[in-house]
Amino acid sequence: MRKLFLLLAFPFLCGTIGAQNLSDLIISEALPVNTSSLIDDYGEHSPWLEIFNTSQGTVNFAGCFFTDDPTNLTKSQIPKGDLATKLGPRQSAVIYANGDASKGTFYLNFELRKGNTVYLVSNDGRTIIDSLAVPLVIDENVSIAKFSHDNKGLIFNDIYPAAPSPLSENGRRSQKSNAQSIQETDPHGWTLTVVSVMVVFFALFILFLLYNLSGNIFTGKFKEKSKTRSSSDEETTAAAIALALARYESSDDTEAAIALALHLYLSDRVHDMEPGYITIRSNPDSAWRNKSLSFRKKT
Amino acid sequence: MEQIIDSLSQFWQFTGFANCTWQHIAMIAIGLIFITLGIVKEWEPMLLVPIGFGIIIGNIPMFPGLNIGVYEDGSVLNTLYQGVRQGWYPPLIFLGIGAMTDFSALISQPRLMLIGAAAQMGIFGAYLLALAFGFAPNEAGAIGIIGGADGPTAIFLSSKLAPDLMGAIAVCAYSYMALVPVIQKPIMLLLTTKKERLIRMPAPRIVSQKEKIIFPIVGFICTAFIVPSGLPLLGMLFFGNLLKESGVTRRLANTAGGPLIDVVTTLIGLTVGASTQADKFLTGNSLKIFALGLVSFIIATTCGVLFVKIWNLFLRPERKINPLIGNAGVSAVPDSARVSEVVGREADPNNHLLMHAMAPNVAGVIGSAVAAGILLGFLG
Repeated sequence: MRKLFLLLAFPFLCGTIGAQNLSDLIISEALPVNTSSLIDDYGEHSPWLEIFNTSQGTVNFAGCFFTDDPTNLTKSQIPKGDLATKLGPRQSAVIYANGDASKGTFYLNFELRKGNTVYLVSNDGRTIIDSLAVPLVIDENVSIAKFSHDNKGLIFNDIYPAAPSPLSENGRRSQKSNAQSIQETDPHGWTLTVVSVMVVFFALFILFLLYNLSGNIFTGKFKEKSKTRSSSDEETTAAAIALALARYESSDDTEAAIALALHLYLSDRVHDMEPGYITIRSNPDSAWRNKSLSFRKKT
Repeated sequence: MEQIIDSLSQFWQFTGFANCTWQHIAMIAIGLIFITLGIVKEWEPMLLVPIGFGIIIGNIPMFPGLNIGVYEDGSVLNTLYQGVRQGWYPPLIFLGIGAMTDFSALISQPRLMLIGAAAQMGIFGAYLLALAFGFAPNEAGAIGIIGGADGPTAIFLSSKLAPDLMGAIAVCAYSYMALVPVIQKPIMLLLTTKKERLIRMPAPRIVSQKEKIIFPIVGFICTAFIVPSGLPLLGMLFFGNLLKESGVTRRLANTAGGPLIDVVTTLIGLTVGASTQADKFLTGNSLKIFALGLVSFIIATTCGVLFVKIWNLFLRPERKINPLIGNAGVSAVPDSARVSEVVGREADPNNHLLMHAMAPNVAGVIGSAVAAGILLGFLG
């Protein structure tokens, strides 16, 4: 009878003992780049990770270790003697991985970084209980979280980027970022490079064509080529200039200079628009650096 | 008496001396070096002095939780830092740059715009290398933009793609911009022959006011349609230039190109410096970023010069371009154009390349903004 009782009780005992094992703990979520999520006890946005007790019993994780180095499993230990290290059934706790373990029980002496894998190690310092790999590409304020799809919520096989949900059920799954997609489709970056270079050249080439076109228009090259430049306005202006110059006694050079200045002004090839002044240049195509060849005359 | 000692002991814990580490000392030393270079050597003093002092501010050892640090929500420094963090300082700087820059050199010689495109290879070369170094694509894009030699663009893009690397990227970009004469000159001399350095280019034509007014409008519509993600930078750059050239908004242009850009430059320098706290800055990644930044500048300069040399093979003798202006394709305005002038005059004292070099130089500003827009579109 006693044997029968023991046999019947054994699975329950095992289940109870097993449920209170450290092996029921998982690293359920991690946030490597925290700029707007949880604030720690010191008012800082520190990287954090969440551990979750999957069992129906209480688990005390005091003395357990966390590490991001598989060759050094005892890198950062959770101190003993703090009652807050007891996790009730289906409860979770947040550990700040900011590199400064002196700040308290729930602070680790290494910083959680993208691309690293973080391990939860039993208090024997040898047995790895659980691990979570943080992707190299993950946006800021997006966590990497474990999700369970079994009815009892015991097996957490699915790992996705997610909206941070510290101390609560893991949030909704995040969409893949562009950078993540690029890393999968173009890990070495050649496609993006070739496309980007082509776009840069294309954009500036279009600008080149447009400005070349506008330059030709403004300098009158099109008009000169088509030889249709005989507008009545310009002829009238030229006649008016000639009449005006004929009334005054002046040298040929002065007349030529004034005529040239007026021509440039009327054909909109002068550099500046300054009321009260006409810029007179002896050679508009080469005088930009030769100040001795330029002078101004007040009108 | 015991109470006094306790109070003094408690006060001691709040002081910088009690919280000081070698990393703090190292960063303060870096800040002092920046200030020294800015004041004594006059290398980009308007950038290096605020950044240097900001580095010192950000690395004064202090007890956390006082809500005064740059990363502590609601602190004064944190509030000022939002302009960097949210990326609205760089477009304001671009507004000022647009209001100060005369694009005549580019408008008169639009073909030189392509040099500005070639020099952007530095960005993408650094992107490829950063990926090979193990950086994620978004981080690699933010690092690559250092090759554009454009501080505001680097800050804008890194704030969007890799905020945790922004301090190192910004400091790296500004440091190398200050070192443009040192980095570019030997590359230019190495890649050009004496004969090439003597090439004289035809003088640029005079540009009318109408062309100058049309330039920012056409430029903006064209580039923004191709790369809408570059809108904040391109929009502000061309808008600032329109204010300048329209002739009817002189007060606005003076403000954008004067007091506004001065205020924003001061704040951006100070807060970027303050963001380089020792624990975030003194990492292996920062060293890699500095190495990649240097390589990107070298690639950009090399590609600019080689592009001109190759282009010259197809040009008539009277249309040939002096390859010494190839370096100016990066957007370090006007420092890289000055390098072209200086090196050109060493070969021929009567050959002035400054105005020619300004064309690819300002094209580089547009090119780097376009490149930033592309990277943001792909990786953002």
